[in-house]
Amino acid sequence: MVGGVAVVGPLMAGAPPVPSTFAGAAEAVAVAVLLTEFAMLRSALLRPQVRLYALQSLAVSTLAVVVAVSRHLGDLYVLAGVSFALKVVVIPVVVTRLLRETGDELGTLRGRIGVATMVLVALAASGFGFFAFDSLHITSRSLPTSALGVAGATILVAFLLVILRTDVVSQAVGFFALENGISVASLVLAASLPIIVEVAFLFDLLVAVVVFGLLARVHHGRTRTLATDVLGRLRG
Amino acid sequence: MSGTQLLPAEVQVLQDLTVLVLAPLVSGAIAHLEGRLQGRRGPRILQPYYDLAKLFRKETLVPEDATWVFLAGPVVAFMCYLVVPLLIPELTTFALPLGYMGDILGGGFILALASFSVALAAADSGGPYAQLGSSRAMTFGALIEPSILFVVFVVAIVTTTDLPYAEAATARSSLSQAIRPAHLLAAIAFFHVVLSDTGRIPVETHTGTLELGMIDEARTFEHSGAALALLKWGSNMKQLILYVLLMDVFAAPWGLAGSRQVGSVLLAIPILVGKAIGLGAIFAVIDNSLSKLRLYKITEFMAVAFLLAVLALLVLYLGGG
Amino acid sequence: MLIAVLAVPLVAALVSWRSRTRLAQAVTVASGTATCGLALALVGAAGSHVARALHGWLRADALSVVFLVATAFLYAVTAVFTVGYMGPDPGGSLRYSRRFYAGLNLFAWAMVTATIVNGLPLLWVAIEVTTVVSALLVAIDDTDGASEAAWKYVLIASMGLGIALLATVVMYYAGSSQLGPAYQPFYEPLLGAARHFPPQVTRLAYVLAVLGFGTKMGLVPVHTWLPDAHSEAPTPVSALLSGSLLGVSFYAILRYYQLATRALGPAFPRDVLLAFGVASLVLAALYLASQRDLKRLLAYSSIEHMGILAIGMSFAAPIATFGVLLHVLAHAAAKATAFFGAGSVVRKFHTKDMDQVRGGVGSLPWSGPLLVLAVLALSAMPPFGIFRSEFMIVAGGLSDPRDAVAAALVVLVTLAFLGLTWFASQTMLSPDPEGLVTGEVSAWIPAAMLAGLGALVVLGVHLPGQLAHLLTRAAGELGTVR
Repeated sequence: MVGGVAVVGPLMAGAPPVPSTFAGAAEAVAVAVLLTEFAMLRSALLRPQVRLYALQSLAVSTLAVVVAVSRHLGDLYVLAGVSFALKVVVIPVVVTRLLRETGDELGTLRGRIGVATMVLVALAASGFGFFAFDSLHITSRSLPTSALGVAGATILVAFLLVILRTDVVSQAVGFFALENGISVASLVLAASLPIIVEVAFLFDLLVAVVVFGLLARVHHGRTRTLATDVLGRLRG
Repeated sequence: MSGTQLLPAEVQVLQDLTVLVLAPLVSGAIAHLEGRLQGRRGPRILQPYYDLAKLFRKETLVPEDATWVFLAGPVVAFMCYLVVPLLIPELTTFALPLGYMGDILGGGFILALASFSVALAAADSGGPYAQLGSSRAMTFGALIEPSILFVVFVVAIVTTTDLPYAEAATARSSLSQAIRPAHLLAAIAFFHVVLSDTGRIPVETHTGTLELGMIDEARTFEHSGAALALLKWGSNMKQLILYVLLMDVFAAPWGLAGSRQVGSVLLAIPILVGKAIGLGAIFAVIDNSLSKLRLYKITEFMAVAFLLAVLALLVLYLGGG
Repeated sequence: MLIAVLAVPLVAALVSWRSRTRLAQAVTVASGTATCGLALALVGAAGSHVARALHGWLRADALSVVFLVATAFLYAVTAVFTVGYMGPDPGGSLRYSRRFYAGLNLFAWAMVTATIVNGLPLLWVAIEVTTVVSALLVAIDDTDGASEAAWKYVLIASMGLGIALLATVVMYYAGSSQLGPAYQPFYEPLLGAARHFPPQVTRLAYVLAVLGFGTKMGLVPVHTWLPDAHSEAPTPVSALLSGSLLGVSFYAILRYYQLATRALGPAFPRDVLLAFGVASLVLAALYLASQRDLKRLLAYSSIEHMGILAIGMSFAAPIATFGVLLHVLAHAAAKATAFFGAGSVVRKFHTKDMDQVRGGVGSLPWSGPLLVLAVLALSAMPPFGIFRSEFMIVAGGLSDPRDAVAAALVVLVTLAFLGLTWFASQTMLSPDPEGLVTGEVSAWIPAAMLAGLGALVVLGVHLPGQLAHLLTRAAGELGTVR
């Protein structure tokens, strides 16, 4: 063997450490959570938006399984199962049901600013999230620490989703995505939180989803639109 | 036969020849596949060769107001596309003597020079559509540029160098290198860059005839004969070069020759073509399943590529990637 | 007894979901009174020891009981008021009345639960339940304003609680550094180990908690949902939101405050509360002067009082902490009474616009004067409880090295006083317009208001011994141990 690898070897000296295959895979799943959220920023239709949420929840559930496998936590399998059933199946179905009669309008989901600008702003926010959480120097036994940075970014982008989008569906999904981001954070920070508590969180989320759905329907019933820019009556 | 070693120079020549000769074949195969996907028979796989031969036989017309730039452009671009293959891991896993002549940025500059000279030639023609195309191509080229830069940064941090060979070797070295998120994200970002630079949906319809939506294609409107042939051939070569960059540097740097033995080098050529056609098939499927973005929405596409590249860098910086 | 506190409102919610309006009203009043009685019965016990139930998942120390009493008392008087306010046929349909009474009981249940569950995660769960239930109650009138306010409320409050959930997780992580990776997140082990928590992480958790629960509590700048929700909700719901819910959210912040002072020392937690408190007080005092809407006026007054609570906690003196806890009780009673009066005015004049309300005292022989008294109580007039609590807070503040803050507090409270009395003189004490029929909407309303004012006078004039003991003990629990 001439050149190639032989030459490359010494050059690699200053490179950042390579994560193990497990850490790399876990991190990739965490990044998938963030990426689906960026997709939510630009999604223009109701159903794809809800599907993106299901996809994101799938990634979170997968991450829970990854942690469960790596740390041999039986509880987490249960949690992953419950979270899959609720967030990937039940919640998307419930939201779609509740908004069925409103869902056929095209192009009603929109943003305050252009998509490209939105992505750039969100990128800046997620960069901030990365560095903010990185500066805490938190060590975790369950996941690579940088997954926490991804969680922080996910949480901040969820806020942007709520702030920058002006339709009830995106805003509601933004809240659910926020919860997903926190789920990732809790997998990093508190993987062994008692299962009762975790499940309580999840059912709480389910209740919140129903309420969001009901209120969104009330909103649509009153204004005949999913847009929220009409909500400017109350001020002062 | 397996014992015979090729000289480094011979392999380099072979690299260039591969791109030069086989690029139209790859394009033809993809066009054929696309036709099949759309339920047509599709053009013959060798059609691009016939097209080129026909164009070379035709006379070359030059607009009245055009200067020497008009004819020089296609030639310069063609030359550029012949230089780039020398810098990238096309047939061999190891760098050949000229491989250290330029890094990824160097290769990028040469590709940019090619695209610039084509745009200049188009602008020189004075034709409105050609000028429109060249101005758009330069605009979107500038917009995709940051993504390319960030991909390069990622490569640079991962390998502490920005030689394409080094990145390919790193990705090949272990599974954990290949699936580390930074690498995956950079690869996907680069995929977007290729999508945009080869004029594919969702950025542009490469087979379209509607001038208003055209970007790259519109630039060649005023050229004819041998100049047009050079442009077309050049764009086939550019496509193959970008595919090679995507596959052999990021996505699938396998199947390259590990030594200069005749057998393994020659075997690398069909593998390369096969991989390129496979990748082309993916692009063809994308072409068929997505619709073209409105011109003003293309920035969103660029933003996505940028997002992926920056995320790759962030993930990497935090030590998890 | 804790289980009974937990069960009664829940049963009431279920019963009123399936029953006729009359029965639902009776059940609600009975449940409110029973809960209040149970809470008061806990006062004596909590003065000496910590009550537990359900394998430790329920726990009531003095701090819990203070907030439990405030919530349960409000639950009882609101139940009485609702009977008068809604009348025999609320909203015109049985469906509405079932939803309303079930929601009201459930809302009260969630708040009561929040005060007695053991552990930060469950506390979060209970408070999130209060959000979703009360959001539905805000929207129940199905007007444009109500649906707008409900959407803003549920969205902003949920996002805030999202932050609070993150705080919960981060605090759990801080605890796991001392208590091992898997532990039951109850208060005692956390409080015991808090001294050795990693400071950086605890600081993050605390700030997130103040920001997150502060959203529910109405601290500026995350208060924006509050005036809308308070003004558009049915008045009984407004009273519960303002009097209890804000207090319960403050309770959650205090739980984090307890941990943070142990881990970080008192300075940092106090500074954070001070910043939020001053911002709230300044903004609320300014907005109070320019309100035209009666219920929005009271909403901003709530923000003002939440600011006072936060500032009071930032003073080092134990007397200020005592004052803060007393203020929680007094504010609950006063604000609820004021909202009841506002509800009476709204029913009488069919508007919330203060420019159109004239001669309130003349036309509402009982609830008119009582409303004026409640507003005076809110402005910290003696002999009402708020005077006493604010006096103690200011006294504590003046003994603090940062006595400038106490001075500013007095100035801003005076400014708020001007806004409130301007309203009272404009609408209530103005001469009667022509053709106004004198008479109460319902006798239940003044009854509820009298109960509220009675409690205020008791708090202001003579604190019952057991209650004083309870407050002292709760203030002790909040004090720094470091």
